[in-house]
Amino acid sequence: MLKRLVIAATIVALTPLSLAGAAWAHGPSRQKVTETIEINAPVDKVWKVVGNFQDMSWLPVVEKLEGKGGNDVNATRTLTLKGGGTIEEQLDKYSAEDHMYGYEITKVDPKVFPVADYSSHITVEGEGDKTTVTWWGGFYRGYMLNDPPPELNDEAALKAVTGLYKDGLAALKKKVEGGG
Amino acid sequence: MQTGLRALKLGLGLLVICGLAVPSWAHEALLTNQSSDSLSFVDVDTMKESARIEVTGKPAGIALSPDKATAFVTAPDSKELIEIDAVSRAVKRRLLLGGGPLGIAAHPSLPEVYIADWFAHKVTIVDTAKMAVAGEIKVGESPSGLAVTPDGKLLLSADRDSDAVSIVDLATRQRLVSIPVGKRPFGITIDDKGARAYTANVKSDDVTVIDIAARKVVGSVPTGRRPYAIAFAQGKGFVTDQYGGTVTVFDEATLAPVKRINTCDHAEGIDADADRKAIYVSCWGDDVLLRIDPQSLTVTGKAAVGDGPRAFGKFLR
Repeated sequence: MLKRLVIAATIVALTPLSLAGAAWAHGPSRQKVTETIEINAPVDKVWKVVGNFQDMSWLPVVEKLEGKGGNDVNATRTLTLKGGGTIEEQLDKYSAEDHMYGYEITKVDPKVFPVADYSSHITVEGEGDKTTVTWWGGFYRGYMLNDPPPELNDEAALKAVTGLYKDGLAALKKKVEGGG
Repeated sequence: MQTGLRALKLGLGLLVICGLAVPSWAHEALLTNQSSDSLSFVDVDTMKESARIEVTGKPAGIALSPDKATAFVTAPDSKELIEIDAVSRAVKRRLLLGGGPLGIAAHPSLPEVYIADWFAHKVTIVDTAKMAVAGEIKVGESPSGLAVTPDGKLLLSADRDSDAVSIVDLATRQRLVSIPVGKRPFGITIDDKGARAYTANVKSDDVTVIDIAARKVVGSVPTGRRPYAIAFAQGKGFVTDQYGGTVTVFDEATLAPVKRINTCDHAEGIDADADRKAIYVSCWGDDVLLRIDPQSLTVTGKAAVGDGPRAFGKFLR
């Protein structure tokens, strides 16, 4: 009886503490980011630049691309980034007809790009002389355990992906519209 | 005498429980919208969202009580189990579990749910009458999907980082065996007869088939990229391919692939309705619930829901 009382008292005493702890220590949950840009060009012209899985010359941060398998599902590519670091990716779906492809990161150092279990797709939709490009990503933060360091938390992952998409789409627009 | 009385009480208790356990089919899907901290209720006859309530903590996993009147949702972000009255559509109680709660399954007749702890390599037992932790079961590494046999005797855990399935005896709460399966099993589903269990193996792009009584692997089925979870209807198995954006269909008897249906971005949670006339797929990327006709193997309905629906578990009531 006494023992039970002691246990009950301990639980009561501990509960507020553990609840307070929980508010700070967030577990990992999957994030998503969507960025779009409108380009003043017909859809075919945009797709010609962005629609080849083996050509990332429109993305300024990429220094070199080595790949195999063309635009077939399961094709792979390794991106070497300016300033060092590589990202290995695999093609999961590809439709020239629908102007879209989906891919995943198969290997990356979170110090290079602070994400885990990342997958993405790029969709190009046109109407006349205007085309909308959508770049979508789903991913976890780079640190999959509880209580991540700040450079590998949810905010860091969201910031890195959002920045990549915004900069990438702006560069794509510039390249397509500027290229005549 | 004492034992007799106890048995009688137990028997009466079971009768009451079984009486309650006959579910009235509400024709409703409950989706945990992880990205937007909410739960969507979808009328699956009209395929329209009928309500959406706030559920904080980034809800992901879901299980339903035997009478299907209560939903139990895991919140990995706040590390809680959340009890929701599915009839009045209100959050009732929350229980702080700690660790990494994700996968969840309910006992078919007892007021008990099981929650997989992603980090602690254990399953936590929660007494849902008291809404309190009632025990723990040690399983393999990073348990994800959970399933209970229809007779309520065994709990199966897909132990993702052990590449194995644990079979747990629920009476003694001990693991009986660990069975190696494909790479990184995530979702696990037991067929209606309780004969076989199926795991969706994220890294080997296949489904492993286990004979539960024999405790051995009896086959596998190739799937699309990154299979997530499995459901059954009309003699066919349906697997969501998370990265492939498809649902792989296979024959339940022969395990032969039947079709791959184009569905949506990040097809994740999948469940069949009570009379097995439709399959429902939660699309985390596209924020929709899809209905698939198991006869024609086509998408026959679509409902917009909240941002980021996971619906990992049983979500049809």
